[in-house]
Amino acid sequence: MEDAGTAPGALTARAAGLVACTQCGRVHPLGTPQCRRCGSDLASRDDTSLQRVWAWLFAGMIAYVPANLSPMLLTSTFGRTRENTIIGGVFELFDHGSYGVALVIFLASVVVPIGKFIAIAYLALSVRSRGLARGHARQRLYEVVEFIGRWSMIDVFVVAILSALVQLDFIATVKPGVAAASFALSVAFTMLSAQAFDPRLIWDSYEVEET
Amino acid sequence: MTGPEPAPLDVSPARPSVWRNLSFVWLVPILALALSLGLAWRSLADRGELIEITFANASGVTPGETELKYRDVVVGTVETVTFTDDLEKVLVRARVDKKVAPYLDTDTEFWVVRPQVTTRGVSGLSTVLSGVYIEGSWDKEVVGEPLVQFAGRDNPPLVLPGREGTRITLVATDGSLITEGAPVFFHGIEVGRLERPRLTVSSDAIVVDAFIQAPHDRRLNSATRFWDTSGFNVSISGAGLSVDFDSLSSLLAGGIAFDNVFEGGKPVSPGHVFSVYEDEASAKKSLLEEPKGAVVEVAAEFGETLSGLEPGADVRYGGIRVGQVTSIVAVVDDTSDGPGVRLMANLAIEPERLGLPAGSGPRETLDFLESATGRGLRARLATKNLFSAALIVELAEVPDAAQATFRRDATPLPVLPSVKSDLPDFTATAEGVLERINALPIEELLDQAIRTLGSIEAIATAEGTKAAPDAVVALLDDTRALVNDEATKALPGELRAAIADLRAVVSELREGGAVASLNETAASAREAAGSVAKATEGLPDLAARLEELVTRAGRLISAYGDRSDFNDETLAALREVRNAARSVSQLARAIERNPNSILMGR
Repeated sequence: MEDAGTAPGALTARAAGLVACTQCGRVHPLGTPQCRRCGSDLASRDDTSLQRVWAWLFAGMIAYVPANLSPMLLTSTFGRTRENTIIGGVFELFDHGSYGVALVIFLASVVVPIGKFIAIAYLALSVRSRGLARGHARQRLYEVVEFIGRWSMIDVFVVAILSALVQLDFIATVKPGVAAASFALSVAFTMLSAQAFDPRLIWDSYEVEET
Repeated sequence: MTGPEPAPLDVSPARPSVWRNLSFVWLVPILALALSLGLAWRSLADRGELIEITFANASGVTPGETELKYRDVVVGTVETVTFTDDLEKVLVRARVDKKVAPYLDTDTEFWVVRPQVTTRGVSGLSTVLSGVYIEGSWDKEVVGEPLVQFAGRDNPPLVLPGREGTRITLVATDGSLITEGAPVFFHGIEVGRLERPRLTVSSDAIVVDAFIQAPHDRRLNSATRFWDTSGFNVSISGAGLSVDFDSLSSLLAGGIAFDNVFEGGKPVSPGHVFSVYEDEASAKKSLLEEPKGAVVEVAAEFGETLSGLEPGADVRYGGIRVGQVTSIVAVVDDTSDGPGVRLMANLAIEPERLGLPAGSGPRETLDFLESATGRGLRARLATKNLFSAALIVELAEVPDAAQATFRRDATPLPVLPSVKSDLPDFTATAEGVLERINALPIEELLDQAIRTLGSIEAIATAEGTKAAPDAVVALLDDTRALVNDEATKALPGELRAAIADLRAVVSELREGGAVASLNETAASAREAAGSVAKATEGLPDLAARLEELVTRAGRLISAYGDRSDFNDETLAALREVRNAARSVSQLARAIERNPNSILMGR
């Protein structure tokens, strides 16, 4: 109605006594336990969604701490071993003048994960207190978070490829550090967190307003 | 509409219990948290002890990279490199493994391993690529509380703690050939190394610690002598030239060798002080110069002056050092002529050097001396060597010595009888020789020689002397040429023949007087005059040559000077020659003008 986010008087599935399958899109009467087409569990609203979002989010945040404190790469060239944390590597690249690469790594490893933490937390919070932003914007935010999540793995890929390729014994050896695993876990947890979020919750607050 | 409606039910769903709806997913962050905290705690607990090492120079030590190694195994990493508060030293903070931390006690040493090229070889080559590292060394004993502050060494220690061996101290007089790290050889095998040489407090000797590795340190005992093997030895003997050096390393860096110079030395404790001898020969000779055991003191009484004899002087028996003079005392005696002074030298005799069995005490020694005195053993003063005024005491067997006894019970020491030495004689002889040498008329001889040489030199350098030989030779040549000339030779013969012809004509004229023969005579006279004219044709030439000869001779003579007899005679001869030439030319002119003058006799 007043809120431009929803079509005035639009009928929601729940109001119509229906539940849609989130996997294949088929609608069933409320109370149907499983989708008759694809067999996935049906729920009009996922009650545990927010719980799972928060749980995965916290797990991701916890994993993110060692990912930044411990070394990401163990590089040994001619017997000299260097350990680089993510931020340390960014600064080093910056010092060497590789601004582009430094920027990419900084975005993928620092800005994006932290942005995701903030975005997911915001989405989860905004479900409770309505009107923080328009529904469409929040829906868009959710989609972006889901899409961009996988790109955070770029750092992990780099480490994985380097440590697989650069095994020249004494001359140069690259080994993944503890941070690589932590970082991968952090990204995975955050992705799970984003996936656990039920976007239908974004719109529920508007319905409450309507009724 | 119809029927009463039930009161609207105020249905509120039962408030779901937070716990019942709690998702299992929450386990994930809890697990993650536990794991993270666990990891953090473990890494913190395993972090190791922070120690501080100060270095004078920490070149190449990089925080976070440089490793701390023990026996080439990494046991820690450098965390920070800063300065001490006064900027005097570099302060390196490093974490060492908890396992080794307790062993870091007072004997711990740290040094920075860098590539090093020394005469002993190349070390630390791996650090060229990998960068320096800090090597630590400590023994396996835990003594007291572990320390956290250490002073790093500038150089690697020569002996790593925990190595078996014995540390001894060597004293040398010359440190120029002793360098730090120089090898110590035993029969040519390297068994140890020298540490840094240092001066004694009085600066009159070099002290250097040496470490002899086990098991070779068992060879060390009181019979051990050390000597310097640095450099090389060149000796020329009947066998030819021999160059001798121990090893290339000892040639460059110096070295010390040792050996046991006699059997049965007593064991020494670590830190024993040995002296370093110049070479092997003097090391082995030292056996005769150091007291070997207990000494027996006796006194020797001398009736003559002891000037030149000093405490410490040798006591020799059969040329071998058997002891030394300990002191010289004067003893006042009451004799029948009043108090008299006797000079006594106290001698410390080493029984073993006298040839007595090892362990002989004073009793056996005195027994020996007593019996030897009976055979004629006497103390006698002798010069140490030909060129020294220093005296030594000689125990010599003098067969024809005056009867004397070994006063064994004299106080304070037993007294050996002495004989007068033959020192003054020698001195007198030497003086006589010197006086005779002095008396030689060397100076006059030299003066004469100098004068002779001077006159010879004056003659040799005079201008005339140099010119004379050439001129004389030229003159002789000319003279010989003139004499040998055919014309000169022929001239007298022709003249004589012509004159004979004329004489014959004249005599014919005088005798006969016949006119008839006049024509014939005139013809012959003409003929004769012709031949005379012919003969005289060479005369001007001859005269000119004689003239020339005379001028040259005159020049020569004037150059030669006009004093000597030779000159006068030569001048006289020349004058004659000139007169002869003049006569010849006059004759020639006369014959030209008037050939008949020869016939008519003027």
